[in-house]
Amino acid sequence: MDRVHRIDCAGRTVREINIEIRSELARGSSVAVANSGARHNLGVALLTSGRVTFDGSVGYYGAGMSDGATIVIHGSAGWGVAEGMLSGSVSVEGNAGNGAAASIRGGTVVVKGDCGARAGISMKGGLLLIGGDAGYMASFMMQKGVVVILGNAGDALADSMYEGVVYVGGEIASLGNDAVVSDASPDDMNTLSGLIRQHGLKQPRRLRKVVSGRKLWNFDHAELETWRAAL
Amino acid sequence: MVGVFIRTTEAMCGIAGYLDKKSGQAPVGKKLLLMLEALGQRGPDSAGLALFGTGVLGREICWVKLPEHGDREDAVVDALELIGSVAHVRAHRLTDGLLRAEIERRTTAAEFCAKVESSTVSLEIISLGSRLELVKQVGAPSNVTRLFDANGFRGSHGIGHTRLSTESRVDLSHSQPFWARGVPDLATVHNGHITNYHRLRRVYEQQGVRFFTENDSEVIGVYLADQLARGFSLEDAMKHSLADLDGSFTYLVATPDYFGFARDPFALKPLLIVETDDYVALANEEVAIRYALNNAGVAQEPSGNVYRLWRRPAVLAAAS
Repeated sequence: MDRVHRIDCAGRTVREINIEIRSELARGSSVAVANSGARHNLGVALLTSGRVTFDGSVGYYGAGMSDGATIVIHGSAGWGVAEGMLSGSVSVEGNAGNGAAASIRGGTVVVKGDCGARAGISMKGGLLLIGGDAGYMASFMMQKGVVVILGNAGDALADSMYEGVVYVGGEIASLGNDAVVSDASPDDMNTLSGLIRQHGLKQPRRLRKVVSGRKLWNFDHAELETWRAAL
Repeated sequence: MVGVFIRTTEAMCGIAGYLDKKSGQAPVGKKLLLMLEALGQRGPDSAGLALFGTGVLGREICWVKLPEHGDREDAVVDALELIGSVAHVRAHRLTDGLLRAEIERRTTAAEFCAKVESSTVSLEIISLGSRLELVKQVGAPSNVTRLFDANGFRGSHGIGHTRLSTESRVDLSHSQPFWARGVPDLATVHNGHITNYHRLRRVYEQQGVRFFTENDSEVIGVYLADQLARGFSLEDAMKHSLADLDGSFTYLVATPDYFGFARDPFALKPLLIVETDDYVALANEEVAIRYALNNAGVAQEPSGNVYRLWRRPAVLAAAS
């Protein structure tokens, strides 16, 4: 059984808290953080494996730039949660603000509630699983990876995405430029339902699949209107 | 303690709002000051509150800014004389260059403003309303308490602001909240930048509207006042503002009966909502809500192109 090291944030700076989290992970402990109080930059740049839990909300850029850690937030997260993650996982029990899982290259980000605008913006790999709704421009300029939105998606979904796949269980308010929608295949459904079950989320009746139309990859005069709309 | 407790990486205006669902006599001033304290790192230049209490029937509160230079006693005499020509002055008090008068107005709000602000010693009406106390001051949120006992204020709701000046000068006039000039009891706070401000201002100035600052946030109140004058509801006015205002904005709005927010289509400025059975709290960082209130309720960030109004519970309206 892992040793669990407890950290109380009250009266301490974010830097002190983060240094303690890192040193305890390096010693092989799990870390339980109390009184996080939605403060910013908590649990950033955790580059070792190990488990870190926050008993409440975190503020901006929580659990960003991590590589290998398993981070659980028993509350909500502000802007840019898990931004730039390389590997490991971040799980948000509540809702996330704008730019959740921005630019991640690998690993798994799970938001059990809703996400604000631009969830999964510029993702370069990894998986973002959203139990609720995603706001405006989810997966904007995504380059690789998978985004699963079990609720509804807001306007301009997957705008100007290069590659990667977005699945949506609910309604899509509108598609972004060069986003192409189809129904998910039975194979996709099988793979995803296992994943959804694993995280204890509600299975959607069906999933729609959104990919890049690849019309913006190279400039073509014939596509001038598409370019005008995108730029 | 707070300096150690809160370190933000992003410094931009902080906005906060609080609506008590259970009591019209809640310590809203104290709660909002705590929220602003937690948001203080978003902007240390100035701070202010617009608070809604029970008021006195038939009586209004008017805050007037006196000129920064010149003989203050002359200015007070001038102000009271001008106010007295269009209203009965029931009580008045002078603090830090601001005159607070309790009045019974005998003319329209627009005529009242025009009369008082016609003074040769440049008076500026900061707010007017039967329920609204609007106080603002240069410096940290706690400076506001020099003007007014915000910590002791009891009411149903309010909005607050702490400012990082980016576009215009730092003084009391350029601070927020802004009263929507001409509409008693309507106040706004704004985080962001209204990029079509100059165009809108030119249009309103051609219609005779007088602007008192170079702060782009001032135009939001002017815009809402104009929409209301055209016969639209506050809700419609806010809906229209999503298309008519350009740039980045999250603004909060409050009247005696309503409290809400509007956000630009790109959701460029943050806003967190926590709603419980007891209250609605709005702030552009959740840390303000957790610091000032408690851990109840889940924070949620709405998407862009969204506005929302909460109505003050009718039971409270009837009680006050």
